[in-house]
Amino acid sequence: MKHTDLALRRRTVLGAAAAAGLGAALPVWAQGKDPIQFATLLDFTRVYTFLTDEYSQGQQDYIKLVNLEGGVDGHPIKLIIKDHASYPERGIAQYNEAKAAGAVFFDFLSSPVANALMPRADEDHLPMIAFAHGRADAADGQAFPYVFPSAAIYRSQAALLLKYIDEQEGGLKGKKIAFVHIDSAFGKEPIELLERVAKTKGFELKLYPYPVPGTEQAATWSEVRKNRPDKIIIWGAGPGQAVSIRGAVTNGISPKDIHSVLWLSESDMSAFKGNEVVGVKRVTLVNTGSDNPILKRIVEKVINPGNGSGDKKRVGWSGYNIGVASMAIAVEAATLALKNGGGPLTGEKLKAGFEMIKGYTADGLMPPLTITAQDHQGGGQGLISEWDGKRWAPKSDWGSAYQDVVWDLIKEDQAKAKEKK
Amino acid sequence: MSYFLELLVNGALTGLMYSMVALGIVLIYKSSGVLNFSQGALVMMGGYAVWQLTEWGLPIWLAAAAALVVMFLFGLVIERVLLRTMVGQPIIMIVMLTLGLDVFLRGFGPGLLGTEPKQLDIGVGLAPLIMGDILANRTYAVGALIALALVVLALLFFRTRLGTKLRAVSDDHVSSWSVGISVERAVAISWGLAGLCAVAGGTLWGAAQGVDWSLTALLFPAVAVVILGGIDSIVGALLGGLIIGILGSVIPGYVDSMVGGSTRDVVTSLVILLTILIRPYGMFGREDIERI
Repeated sequence: MKHTDLALRRRTVLGAAAAAGLGAALPVWAQGKDPIQFATLLDFTRVYTFLTDEYSQGQQDYIKLVNLEGGVDGHPIKLIIKDHASYPERGIAQYNEAKAAGAVFFDFLSSPVANALMPRADEDHLPMIAFAHGRADAADGQAFPYVFPSAAIYRSQAALLLKYIDEQEGGLKGKKIAFVHIDSAFGKEPIELLERVAKTKGFELKLYPYPVPGTEQAATWSEVRKNRPDKIIIWGAGPGQAVSIRGAVTNGISPKDIHSVLWLSESDMSAFKGNEVVGVKRVTLVNTGSDNPILKRIVEKVINPGNGSGDKKRVGWSGYNIGVASMAIAVEAATLALKNGGGPLTGEKLKAGFEMIKGYTADGLMPPLTITAQDHQGGGQGLISEWDGKRWAPKSDWGSAYQDVVWDLIKEDQAKAKEKK
Repeated sequence: MSYFLELLVNGALTGLMYSMVALGIVLIYKSSGVLNFSQGALVMMGGYAVWQLTEWGLPIWLAAAAALVVMFLFGLVIERVLLRTMVGQPIIMIVMLTLGLDVFLRGFGPGLLGTEPKQLDIGVGLAPLIMGDILANRTYAVGALIALALVVLALLFFRTRLGTKLRAVSDDHVSSWSVGISVERAVAISWGLAGLCAVAGGTLWGAAQGVDWSLTALLFPAVAVVILGGIDSIVGALLGGLIIGILGSVIPGYVDSMVGGSTRDVVTSLVILLTILIRPYGMFGREDIERI
């Protein structure tokens, strides 16, 4: 590793230095208008370590590009970057600091912190994005007006996998599907959807929980093999995902029969040699690779001049591109807000901006996103990709699945929450 | 029957991998009387050291050999900077220090080298070991063999002159000083040896799951192993590992699907509790009887 990479990593983890660097990198002409402050208060050091460095790097590089290209209506964007390590109390303190500093938009990339701050965001009228994390019922804009998942929630992802298997197998009836999941709230979230669809489609669903953090699953996979399922859905994050694939293949399960939640990265797959895991499928919410106008501009204007925020090899990786997409959505919302409501940008205007997003694809980086006052998930679209030994190759078109069931469950969650109050 | 045997075999292999981590705890206790709660973090650092050396272009086994040197020296540094100031202090203070070291390393390693999981390729493919109807994980099998080799080496080491000196130090610092044994040097060597075990654990567990902070979680099963086997017993670390591994495989293999949850950690916790209640010094630990 080069010394510069080490320095960049340290800067990413420290966060604040990177934010200061962004401020310093603003072009002279863009400093005439007040900066818009976005707070990315993330977990760099504890639970989401499999993702955050990459994700934040994508966010920072994209914001640098936006600032180089004139900002949002002439306003540069300043990122406040901090590490809360998924501790809600630390996240709340950082939220208060960022709010006092004038931040109008928040990203926590941590379900515990996001869940703790959702009521505060609604109360303070400050929008937050919850891209592939946080509570499922946050998709309902009526219940959580200032929370924007802005991508397929986990139940929608499970639905996409079922739809894909259905299409590939010519029906789900009579099939045996094994759901191998980490024994946590995140791992259990899709179970109700899977059970509902199992009833209507007539397939047999068997659940196989494994203990947190998911790094030892040998007994689980012996049991899976004993029951001879037709298809496997794995549902974990971080090192547990590679352990799941290793466990499945070691037990004679074909990689072609393994289907995963979004969190299965290039880094996870690089553990395997040659063709041994070719054929593994994954939900994809944001295209991978650098063959996209935004990514090309980032490479040309940010990376090549030496202003990138981290290791160059990550540009175009899944986590990096998700980071880019998350910021692209927020910038699109800010652009629409200023265009329609004028400055200065407030939380209320930014919320309105989010709800004006219609068919936005970030130049083909993601499926057409349409957010309404009711639907903050934005349609729940994604596609299924397959690992070809080097990259995630799309195997289906963008689309959504079983959204009626997804929304039934959202409404039921809210009814249960009301009963508890 | 083959299902039971498969759970048994894979559990035993996993347990031996736990023994490799537990051995670091036993070596330090046996040499200096200190319960080392930072062994999980040392295993993580061992894994990081091997990964970094492969990133610099060394082949994996050469990287592991170089990491042995690095981690032995790292162990010496820990003793020199932290432990030496604690000689003669109450043992609880030293235990707390090792806990603090665990917390520090858990942040320091990933902070320095990046937090995403690093992959280690030890050249063992995904193809299982096939024994009739039983499939076993090849990486764990390699790890189990290395764990057995380490146990044998550790047993032989404590029969040497140096090993005898270390045992004397663990018995009584003051008496060891009085007969001319360098307590500081003995403690330093024990930490160096724990560093060597950490490289073995970090390499094999890193190959099985990737190298990241989650390697520090190996402290929990390793502590269960030393409590069950006896904190000052190398043979105890071996047999304790086998028992913890087998119980943590066979019981969840039958019970998990009935109760709808993963029971492995519950089993491990119960083993810790019952051992402390029934036989606090473990299966092979030394029971000290003091005249009062």
